[in-house]
Amino acid sequence: MKVDRKEAFNTSSVVGNYLNIYFGQEQGVRLGESGVVSLKVHQVVAGRKGQVKILTNRDAGQCLLEFIDPGQVVHLCVFHQPGNIHPREVAKRIFWAIEEYVQQEDPHPSYIEKDTLQNAVDHALRIQVVTCEGKGLVYDLFQGQLEPLDPEDQVVNHVRVLIKVGSDRYGIILPIAAAVEEAIVNAGLELGKVRKIIHTRAKEQEANFSDYVLVPWKQLKNVSSLTLRENRNQLVMRLAARFGSIEEVEEFLSSYSPNIFHRMSKDQQHRKWGNLEENLQQFEELGIIKKTLLGTFLTRDGKELKEFILNHKCELEAEIRRNIRRKPKKSGKIHKLGENIQKVTNIEYVNYNKVKRHNDDTWSGHLAIPQTLMQAKKSSLLRHESRLTIQKEDLQFYEKRHYIPMDVCLLIDASASMAGEKRQAACYLAEHLLLSGREKVAVVTFQEMKARLAVPFTKNQKILSRGLKNVRPGGLTPLADGIITSVEVIRSTRVNNPVLILITDGMPNFPLWSFDAKRDALEAAQKIAELKVRFICIGVESNRDYLKELADCGKGKLYVVDDLNRSNLVDIMDYEKRVAYSS
Amino acid sequence: MKPYFGLARHDGNQPLFNLVEMSIISTLAGEPLHLHAEGLRGTGKTTIMRAARELLPKITRITGCIYNCDPDRPHCPLHRHMSREEIKALGTEEIDMPFLEISHSAKVGTVAGSIDLAKITDTNNPQAALLPGIIPQAHRGIIFIDEINRLADTSPEITDILLDVMGNKPGRLQIEEAGLPTVEITIQVSVWAASNPDEDPGPLEEVRRQLSDRFDMVVYMGRPSSVDVVVRMLEGSDRARREDFDANSFAAKNQEFRQRVREMAETYRVTELPDFLRNFIARVYIKHNLESIRAIEAVQQGAVLYSILKKHKQIMINDVIEMLPLALKHRVDGDTLVKIMNGLESKSSRDSILNIKDRRPSKATKEREEAYFDGGARRLKDMGRQEIIATEKALNPNDF
Repeated sequence: MKVDRKEAFNTSSVVGNYLNIYFGQEQGVRLGESGVVSLKVHQVVAGRKGQVKILTNRDAGQCLLEFIDPGQVVHLCVFHQPGNIHPREVAKRIFWAIEEYVQQEDPHPSYIEKDTLQNAVDHALRIQVVTCEGKGLVYDLFQGQLEPLDPEDQVVNHVRVLIKVGSDRYGIILPIAAAVEEAIVNAGLELGKVRKIIHTRAKEQEANFSDYVLVPWKQLKNVSSLTLRENRNQLVMRLAARFGSIEEVEEFLSSYSPNIFHRMSKDQQHRKWGNLEENLQQFEELGIIKKTLLGTFLTRDGKELKEFILNHKCELEAEIRRNIRRKPKKSGKIHKLGENIQKVTNIEYVNYNKVKRHNDDTWSGHLAIPQTLMQAKKSSLLRHESRLTIQKEDLQFYEKRHYIPMDVCLLIDASASMAGEKRQAACYLAEHLLLSGREKVAVVTFQEMKARLAVPFTKNQKILSRGLKNVRPGGLTPLADGIITSVEVIRSTRVNNPVLILITDGMPNFPLWSFDAKRDALEAAQKIAELKVRFICIGVESNRDYLKELADCGKGKLYVVDDLNRSNLVDIMDYEKRVAYSS
Repeated sequence: MKPYFGLARHDGNQPLFNLVEMSIISTLAGEPLHLHAEGLRGTGKTTIMRAARELLPKITRITGCIYNCDPDRPHCPLHRHMSREEIKALGTEEIDMPFLEISHSAKVGTVAGSIDLAKITDTNNPQAALLPGIIPQAHRGIIFIDEINRLADTSPEITDILLDVMGNKPGRLQIEEAGLPTVEITIQVSVWAASNPDEDPGPLEEVRRQLSDRFDMVVYMGRPSSVDVVVRMLEGSDRARREDFDANSFAAKNQEFRQRVREMAETYRVTELPDFLRNFIARVYIKHNLESIRAIEAVQQGAVLYSILKKHKQIMINDVIEMLPLALKHRVDGDTLVKIMNGLESKSSRDSILNIKDRRPSKATKEREEAYFDGGARRLKDMGRQEIIATEKALNPNDF
């Protein structure tokens, strides 16, 4: 018996060491057949039996408890079949297991029992158990105290144990897991089989701002005017980011005005902005809109908000432009396939702030007269000349700089699947390119049965945003026509180093010349290669093979992203520009 | 030019008035406060900053010292090695606090310093000597840079110099010129800048992030929002044309302010931020993962100055809160800023940092989840030691 316990303890320590290694690599593991343990948040994958996701960008301590530093809390989930299990039962077993472990940890005879108990209690104070019936610290549960579940604790099919423990003591995890299993079996439930674990990043949720944004038109005391101003701005910025532009926010707010002619149907809204359910709920929480028997209307605060937007359009738009210029945070996976071979031409200009000694024989360049003179005077002094002479080696020239203009034609898929976030991201990319560079931007969209020039090549942000406002995804994917139209646009305009960027999430399904939509698109892509336009194709994993073929036909490259979101698109274009500059 | 006290104040530009005054106090007390006003065309950024020139108090320097040496703490290459007596012999003089501008035609030589052309081309006695540029000449005063985003874009070399000057308090400047020994001097100068983020090449933080972080405070100018204010502004311009305004009354106001600045600078030298406010600021830094320590240093400096300017008997939490948007807006995104400011009003950290509330699943998914796992898993104690841990790779080898 004694040997057994010793061995169990050794196993625990070994397991603890392994866990330490895996956690260090930001990994979680399956423990036994029904447990998953990591430092991150776990999520079950709906619709796929036995799969558990480990969200590598959600730290368990930070998300589930209120820890500031990451990596402090070990998150153990033991899955079971539906049924009730009382946390107290689990806590009891865990406590016994800890006691046993602590004893084994230091089996020295002089070790007083009281200390062992104290040590175990220390642990018990740092372990939280959550089951479908309630939650609490092991210590509290042992004393009979039970906390009710928060609405966000979704534990229907597992026991969650959060253990605050240093990396040197991970040995304690195995006994705890075993104890939880025991408790589950004792409660008459079967342990659930975990077949697969997947490491993934949680999609950045559109944060719910109704929790913290103040609606500035509410009667508030002791809030400085600056704070109110920031809140107001932030609220509008968030709305603009969600809907695309100030005008669209206006359009959205108008669609809840009492004037029925301004109201938009649910379907129209959906086509443009995607699913608004969550946003509507937030607006309701903020008190901007309210639901009545006759439908949803703006409240007084909502009307004030609309008024404010109307009166302060120019500042707000300036601030939005500013936000668009900002680079979004990095995220997501991007694969690059293929290379562009087209040559680029650059534009030279003189930098009057930097002077260099002339060292080639062409004698060309802008002479920096004051610097040359000073150099000549200094040299004359050194040469012991009685009069000022200017020698060839005294000549100083202004440095030349060059940059590569890249005029961009965006070819945006506006088929039904692009509605919502993807449409917004593509439009955002267009605005970002226009505002952050000196180049011209054009936008061609394709949907239903044909392509449309939404925005001709322009540097004017107003023209661009007006054009983008009318991009309403819907219908089929006539890619071939889209490519031909944009090739025409590029051909008929004077542009520098034109780049054609295709953003799509689907496959062509409407042909142009024949009956085969895919082949038509490939054929159209050859026209891009003929025109020697740099071609960049941005798509998603599921269409990778076809898009690769398309990119090859157009002598371009393909980027495969995990999600067509703003930051991925902007990242790709940043990279493209850097590549062009360095070539 | 319109007199400083003749300018109409409203909600949108009041913060800039405050900051300009705070910066003057701080500069006089020997600690620079760098300001940056951003806003649309014609919101009065440049007007206010240039008008503040009239308010500048006098400073004392060693007679004729082009580097504005403080007689008590000489720093320039000429005077720093002199003894107290020698300096006394040179005498002192009172000059207006310097207010110099860096324009867009500025070169590294004119900003930092260059060889003195007059001396080197002197036919009788040619010698290589240093001519200090704008920055060393503005020591203990203010430098104003209009359209700083364009300057940062077109002259990265000047920007590098500014980074050095504004990096620490006091900053440093190194003047290098071929044929002369390198000169390094400490510089105590407040940099005031204005820019329109909406014009080429875009906001400063996108052009040169480091430079934008060097500014302690950034004001976003607002437009006047009520008819009354606009009427008052028009009235002011109109009166300036007719020249019937009382120049003397403004001069008296300026004089009075100058007197007050002296007193306030004295107070600033001895005032200390209470411990609890210091802790409070530190907590904001930790909790919201702020990047730059400069941000909270600016909040601290600003809070003290603000309370002095507003004649508060002691520094209050509201002084700190007032400074937060000014010191943080250019350093964090708008979302975080609002969270920081509103978070102070006793919202639980849980609500503001995390949003698990979003993951409210519908009833249907919940039910689906319930019968989600197959039963009959083996228990840990029935498993061999090798089987206990299974990684993602081990469980689904096909995916790798």
